[in-house]
Amino acid sequence: MKRRAAMKSLGVALGGLVALPAWANSWTPDSIGNSTLLALNDEILLAEIVETFIPETNTPGAKSLKVQQFVQRMIQDCYDDTAKNTFKQGLLKTEELALKANNKPFVQCDAKQRTDLLLQMSNDAATKPFIGLVKNLTIRGYTNSEYYLVNIAKYNMVPGFYKGCVPVG
Amino acid sequence: MQNLNIDSIKKRSFDAIVIGSGISGGWSAKELTGKGLKTLLLERGPNVEHIKDYPTTNMNPWEFKHGGQITKEMRDANPVASRCYAFNETSAHFFVKDAEHPYIQEKPFDWIRGYQVGGKSLMWARGTQRWSQYDFDGPARDGFAVEWPITYAELAPWYSYVEIFAGISGNKDGLAQLPDGEFLPPHEQSCVEKHFTDVMAKKYNGARPIIIGRCAHLTQPQPIHLQQGRGKCQHRNICERGCPFGGYFSSNSSTIPWARQTGKLTLQPDSVVHSIIFDEKKNKATGVRVVDANTKQMTEYYAKIIFVNAATINTNLILLNSKSTRFPNGLGNDNGLLGKYIAFHNFRTTMSAEYEGMLDSTTAGSRPNGSYIPRFRNVFKQETDFLRGYAAGFSASRMTYNDTSGIGEDLKTSLSNRKFGNWRVGSHMMGETIPKESNYVALDDKQTDAWGVPLLKVSVAYDDNDEKMIKDFHEQLTEMYTAAGFTNIRTHDNPNKAPGLDIHEMGGVRMGKDPKTSLLNKWNQLHACKNVFVTDGACMTSNSTQNPSLTFMAITARAANNAVEELKKRNL
Repeated sequence: MKRRAAMKSLGVALGGLVALPAWANSWTPDSIGNSTLLALNDEILLAEIVETFIPETNTPGAKSLKVQQFVQRMIQDCYDDTAKNTFKQGLLKTEELALKANNKPFVQCDAKQRTDLLLQMSNDAATKPFIGLVKNLTIRGYTNSEYYLVNIAKYNMVPGFYKGCVPVG
Repeated sequence: MQNLNIDSIKKRSFDAIVIGSGISGGWSAKELTGKGLKTLLLERGPNVEHIKDYPTTNMNPWEFKHGGQITKEMRDANPVASRCYAFNETSAHFFVKDAEHPYIQEKPFDWIRGYQVGGKSLMWARGTQRWSQYDFDGPARDGFAVEWPITYAELAPWYSYVEIFAGISGNKDGLAQLPDGEFLPPHEQSCVEKHFTDVMAKKYNGARPIIIGRCAHLTQPQPIHLQQGRGKCQHRNICERGCPFGGYFSSNSSTIPWARQTGKLTLQPDSVVHSIIFDEKKNKATGVRVVDANTKQMTEYYAKIIFVNAATINTNLILLNSKSTRFPNGLGNDNGLLGKYIAFHNFRTTMSAEYEGMLDSTTAGSRPNGSYIPRFRNVFKQETDFLRGYAAGFSASRMTYNDTSGIGEDLKTSLSNRKFGNWRVGSHMMGETIPKESNYVALDDKQTDAWGVPLLKVSVAYDDNDEKMIKDFHEQLTEMYTAAGFTNIRTHDNPNKAPGLDIHEMGGVRMGKDPKTSLLNKWNQLHACKNVFVTDGACMTSNSTQNPSLTFMAITARAANNAVEELKKRNL
């Protein structure tokens, strides 16, 4: 009887668990809330930058997963002033370079123009730190999003086992 | 009015008081209530009830605002706590925040604390190896500190007793330096860990065994565990959030609820113990002074016996602050040694490497454990230019990575295709440090904390013996890794890493045979105040290389059993 009671209480606990691992530290737009770091137009710009890194295909891209919110939240709360400055200056520079190259703001550029611009910025010593910062956070936000973890990584918070040696694949 | 006062005193009187509800305090409470003693269990922090008060335990990873990462504000405000490996967005609520509980670092010391019911038993790393006679023989054989008053043989039945109840997984390895216990099935070694074990067995003729770690996880719960309401370890590896299954041992899931079932337990959180009351007429301790953590009001509680289990450094603090005419320098401190001979485990350095073989294999699932290299230096005789030795962790798992070089659809595609790299192997050193008089804790003369308790000064540091040991660890592990065919072997030492992060501080109220050179007798009673018992890390005479928690548990159960027998004989 005691065993059954114990298993029953465990069942309740199990029901509350969802299949994802500890290290897959992740986030949702709801969980991170709104950031006050950027003005609205800068946030729109950032959304197009993250979307350029990871675009919508037959699966969601970074913009629809709201990775731009994650990027802002992380820079606002977890990074120092140098990084914050790199970030803000980088956004200004992106806009400036877009106007210079294409005579229009970044958000109005087509996909190829945006990609070319970000590639060019990643090869320029002055803008490389900005591109590195935003790209890394974009990748982190995307690969730790609920969408990616559930549908692509298929990670399991409660594997319930460990095998020390299994074939790859 | 007089009657009211008598009623109030009666309400505040118990058979036993236990100070601290962590690993050893939980065992004190379980043993004392189990033997029929009306017991008051005091905890300075808030209550944490099993499952109900684990706020993050079932949170999905994406529900954390910063992906699990500590914010800059939190890190800046907690330079000490945030250096702990287990301090992150998912678990920070169980760690003491630096500003709330200041202490004075005469020398750098990262004091990691968990002030809540269950203490650090909620966030510990759960390694549970027995000590061997070679560990208890250390001081007498090598001429440091003071001789232990107990032997492995005396403690062995108590190891069995606590292992069976707590649930320890492990393999029976038949090693003299690491005695076997009452084990649940062991975890598996990974293929490269097995490879390392096999190569080392041949190369060193069995002198350097590599085994699977022994840990406080229920790999196969027994009826005694199910009776505690605990279940099988689910391999989630997010233990520091608190485990809703009771899959690992904690005071919260195991000893405290067990003690509560006896009807003899009064658990009182938010109770900061200021000092122990010594009655000079009776020549014994009569109770404790407790400051309410919230109202800051002081109340006295009384009992026949007192178990001090506040965790090493705070146990020292409470005894040092228990001053009376008879004991002007702290309770039981006739020889002036209270607070001295603090030692810790040297976790300063790690090794890493890769293995380019077995690329057709990997691991699956997850494991809250690793392999273990028991101490192989100076075990049977002295063979190096440093005293004692070190154990080490060893783990090997397959590296995976994503190609992140592209941009656009290329990047997106590669993020969906995780690639396998080489095996990644690594070790961390767990070195025995030598207790020395110059490593001490003491009270500050002037400054007090928010509860009127003097601030503690910590003066603990590495010495030459530790430096020599680190060098030897690098040399020996490099030799061993090389023999196993590992590549890209690297040593990682940070001489600026302060002691303390090992969270294995011990001593200050050491056991011994002679009241002139020790504070506690072989039954963990203060020589000079027999109804006060110290059974947490403060009582340890020397440090061994093994994790100490299991030994705290065994010593506590043994001392509590003896205390109750002595009470029955009216010797206390």
